[in-house]
Amino acid sequence: MAESLVAARKPAGARKPGAGRHVRRYWQLWLMVLPAVGFVAVFLYVPMYGIQLAFREFDFTAGLTGGDWVGLKYFRQFFDSPLFWPLLKNTFVIAFTTLVVGFVAPILLALMINQIAGGRRKRVMQTATYLPHFISIVVIVGMLQAFLNSSTGLLTRVSALFGLDGVNFLGDTAAFVPVYVISDVWQHCGWNSIIYLAALSRVDPQLYEAAKVDGANRLQLIRHVDVPSIVPTMVILLILTMGGVLNTGFEKVWLMQNNLNLPVSEVIATYVYKIGIFSTQFSYATAIGLFNTVINFAFLIAANAIARRVSNWSLW
Amino acid sequence: MATSPALSRRAFVVAAGLTALAGCSGKNSGDPNTLRISVSKHPLTKPMSTMEWPKQLEKIAGVKIQWQEISADWDQKKSTMLAAGDVPDLIIGTNAITNADLGTYRTLFENLADDLDALPNVKALFAAKPQLKSMATLTGGEVYAVPGYKRFWPTTVTHQYINKQWLDRLGLKVPTTWDELYTVLVAFKEEDANGNGDKNDEIPMDWSPVGTGGFGYFQPSVLLGSVGLPIAGGGGQGYFLEDGKVGNFLVDERYKQVIEFLHRCYAAGLVSKNVMTQDYSAYQAVGRGSGKVAKVGFSWGWTASDRFGAELADQYVAMAPLLAKAGQTTPVTWTYDSNGENFPSNQILMSAKTSNKQAALKVVNALYDKEMSLQVLWGDLGKYVKKISDKEYEVLPPADPKVDPSTWKWTVTIADAGPVWIRDDMEVKLPADLDEAVEQTEPLQKALANMDVDKDVYPFQFIQMKPDDTNQLGLNNTTMLNTAMTKFAEWITKGGVEDQWGQYVQQVQNAGLQKSIDIYQRYYDEYVKTR
Amino acid sequence: MTFFRKKTPGDVVFTLALGAICVAVLFAVVYPVYFVVIASVSNPSLISTGEVWLWPKGVNLFGYREIFNDERIWTGYRNTLLYSVVGTALNLVVTIPAAYALSRPEFRPRRILMLFFVFTMFFNGGLIPTYLLYRDLGLLDNWLVFVLPSAVNVYNLIIARAFFEHSLPKELFEAAMIDGVSYLQYFARVALPLSKAIVSVIGLYYLVQHWNDFFTGMVFVRDNALQPLQIVLRDILLSNQAFAGGVGASGGSGTSYDQQYADQIKYGVIVVSSLPVLVLYPFLQRYFEKGVLIGSVKG
Repeated sequence: MAESLVAARKPAGARKPGAGRHVRRYWQLWLMVLPAVGFVAVFLYVPMYGIQLAFREFDFTAGLTGGDWVGLKYFRQFFDSPLFWPLLKNTFVIAFTTLVVGFVAPILLALMINQIAGGRRKRVMQTATYLPHFISIVVIVGMLQAFLNSSTGLLTRVSALFGLDGVNFLGDTAAFVPVYVISDVWQHCGWNSIIYLAALSRVDPQLYEAAKVDGANRLQLIRHVDVPSIVPTMVILLILTMGGVLNTGFEKVWLMQNNLNLPVSEVIATYVYKIGIFSTQFSYATAIGLFNTVINFAFLIAANAIARRVSNWSLW
Repeated sequence: MATSPALSRRAFVVAAGLTALAGCSGKNSGDPNTLRISVSKHPLTKPMSTMEWPKQLEKIAGVKIQWQEISADWDQKKSTMLAAGDVPDLIIGTNAITNADLGTYRTLFENLADDLDALPNVKALFAAKPQLKSMATLTGGEVYAVPGYKRFWPTTVTHQYINKQWLDRLGLKVPTTWDELYTVLVAFKEEDANGNGDKNDEIPMDWSPVGTGGFGYFQPSVLLGSVGLPIAGGGGQGYFLEDGKVGNFLVDERYKQVIEFLHRCYAAGLVSKNVMTQDYSAYQAVGRGSGKVAKVGFSWGWTASDRFGAELADQYVAMAPLLAKAGQTTPVTWTYDSNGENFPSNQILMSAKTSNKQAALKVVNALYDKEMSLQVLWGDLGKYVKKISDKEYEVLPPADPKVDPSTWKWTVTIADAGPVWIRDDMEVKLPADLDEAVEQTEPLQKALANMDVDKDVYPFQFIQMKPDDTNQLGLNNTTMLNTAMTKFAEWITKGGVEDQWGQYVQQVQNAGLQKSIDIYQRYYDEYVKTR
Repeated sequence: MTFFRKKTPGDVVFTLALGAICVAVLFAVVYPVYFVVIASVSNPSLISTGEVWLWPKGVNLFGYREIFNDERIWTGYRNTLLYSVVGTALNLVVTIPAAYALSRPEFRPRRILMLFFVFTMFFNGGLIPTYLLYRDLGLLDNWLVFVLPSAVNVYNLIIARAFFEHSLPKELFEAAMIDGVSYLQYFARVALPLSKAIVSVIGLYYLVQHWNDFFTGMVFVRDNALQPLQIVLRDILLSNQAFAGGVGASGGSGTSYDQQYADQIKYGVIVVSSLPVLVLYPFLQRYFEKGVLIGSVKG
């Protein structure tokens, strides 16, 4: 919609406005955006020269730009590593699954909470579901250990009742991703639904009444009134989410890692960390990090381009 | 899901990944009347202001000391600090600055080799313990970090225990071979060994969680001793020295034997089902059973009281290493840890740009003083350590009887994190836990004596490597351990070592193992030559 | 759902199903949280061996006593409160107007500006250049380090911008423009009052971000008097983990630390650190209630 407005206006102002006119017209908007630009420029852009390290030999004594330029040496080292493909695959599988499930779950939760009649019950539900967000990862993993313990764990015992006997949820390579993803959704689903609930709170009650007059039942109301009202939010979040196809929570993977699940749980983030621990390989670590970032950014750009075409909305 | 916390988490990882560089060297705050000292201390340790000995240090050095007490995330803080070239006057903490750090950042630190005259205590320490001197000295003769000497720690940290009460109840003897152990463990599993009426709540065997980065204390890597393979520090990344030759047990046939035995035990249900997945606190808690009822039959630990708790400790006895086969001719060995424990490395370093070098030197020297060392390690004299005579001291038991001696020590002083020289010619009555550990090392002594410290224990502590080599090893080992540790867990729980061994060895070799072994060998040979 | 006066059978089924799912979700979410609470007062050994499920066992307040005996915790609370309040205020002052400006479709530079912002979500210079920058700006060991560098969170900026784009009636803006209202006036008098929901969501996001921030304190602050609650709690918490990580620098002696002792603290810390934020939530929540804002638009 926004874009179409712009498009509609273009012919009217066909003459290219000069810089002076632009400033005169929009100085107030500039005033509003400049503090944010300033903070970002100083605190995020100034240090960005550090990225070049991925292409240089780290040499402390030679100083900032003093290390020898080695071009793509460290990228090549990573691509040639026998761990490259397994790492990429593991990272992608974990991140992508989390991304898909973690995207859908809060939407369903928000739609559901929105259906609850009575402010009090609704508040209880909302507050309760967002509680886990505040539990630290260390404790989450500690709880997973307790609940999924092969001999005493509650969930292990419950699943035994359903015939899933002797599953080692913490060690089985097939169980790692589900355990990781489900616990992640459990933890953040409520919190992530807040934004949808805020959007749903702005739905005009008249829309419901109009739909009701048309004979819609409650499921249809959800489909035809609620869902369309949160689609814009969904699109934004989906685009942002797409920029995380190679992102895994480092700390959680790290803490959940053990020698049994290592074939599926070694991801780029943990590998970089290990490289960092065993030797101060700044250049190599930077290069791997940069590779990861570039892939993510590429996905974001792609998602943004698709969104622009399909939904008329985009990040930029 | 891209929530804002998720993003900040990502920022954190990227930050860790991109930890970049700097060229600036630190400017010090410059006030010559104040020394800034960073101490990497234990989280339990109370603030330095509650201790007496730091005040004595101030008096000796004639300056005010501003302590920067860091008890968490030291590595993260350190890497930033070093890369930004922003170091305090002194840094205290065992291995707080590692040799790898020195490889990259040595220019930030003061070379103390030409200051030894101002450090009479350190000079005397080097004279008394020449191995400490070689440990501290780089190939070019520089000394950046001063190590310490703790003297009383037992030769090994890992002790082996079995529940004697269970054995007695079932009419069994303490096992001496793998087969006997197997039989005993089967009995533990099948009978109601702990006598609580439940035949199924016994865990015959358990060990400390094996990380993805290699082996450590209290892990079944000590069984390598049964087949005569000498390891140190619990095994680490597998490198070992045998008769002057460096190898890596991860590709050794004897390691395969151990794995086979462990799989046999695991398959028979003799090993805790959680052994590969539990964390350290769960492992400890299980070992402590519930009330008077023990849960674990056979395990490894620092002391029986620590491993099984004060209530159950009496049920367990310390055991000698097992033979792989009855009547074997290969002499057994055990993990040799004394180097790490008694010769803690890199305990104190000085900034190259300290604002008051004389005062800083005085502090370093004072820390290696006889009584100061006692205080740093066990707490203030008069309060926590009793002076009986000039040569006799007693470490007092905790004032709070509910606290064990080790926790107490870590609470009242910086303890093992601090630079110390415990003189050989002193009489010290040790705290109970250390006494117990020494006593429980007794059954292992024979096996340890089978190792020639010069030829069967790789002197990791005493060797300073070049940064290039450290880097090369770091890369190779990360790749190698990814395969090896996975297979370790898989083979024990699922089996398959017989079929996969050949291919596995090839894979580990491909990670550059031979190159790594050559590096270790080269440094070892040089080390032997210079001694 | 007050507009449903008479219930059809379908509605009844729907309500029942909804109720059932809600109860299930509630249980799945609340039980583990409840577990944290009972674990914080139970004997940790009984927890690890799986004996604590429904009720706390071996009840003692050791963990809490240990946490609150640490005098640093009060400094931590005070600091965190200061950083969170001042920080969030600055965040909102910087973010919300910027988001509004970027939501104006006729403001052509917004595309490039958005790209400028989004780029920083992915690329950053890393820790050391940042550290050097802070040092040169005098932010090391300075409480402003908790406030200034995090003034803009691009994610929140995007959310807020999208809200302004989608949820403010276009007609309002056009009518105001005809009346000769300037951007600033429109923003202050019309857009802002209609955007309480998003301001409170963004505010909450920022607040929680400040509240949970431990990275800043960890890397850029060495003065213990300035450390926020999370660092203090982490220090206390790590008494536990230092050993769980095994026998690193502390050597074998380290492991003889009594595990009983600190596992409990782990759970206590969660309760202590999240309670204040949890209490706050219901107050903000009323802004999400249906109708509050719509009514004002209509009036």
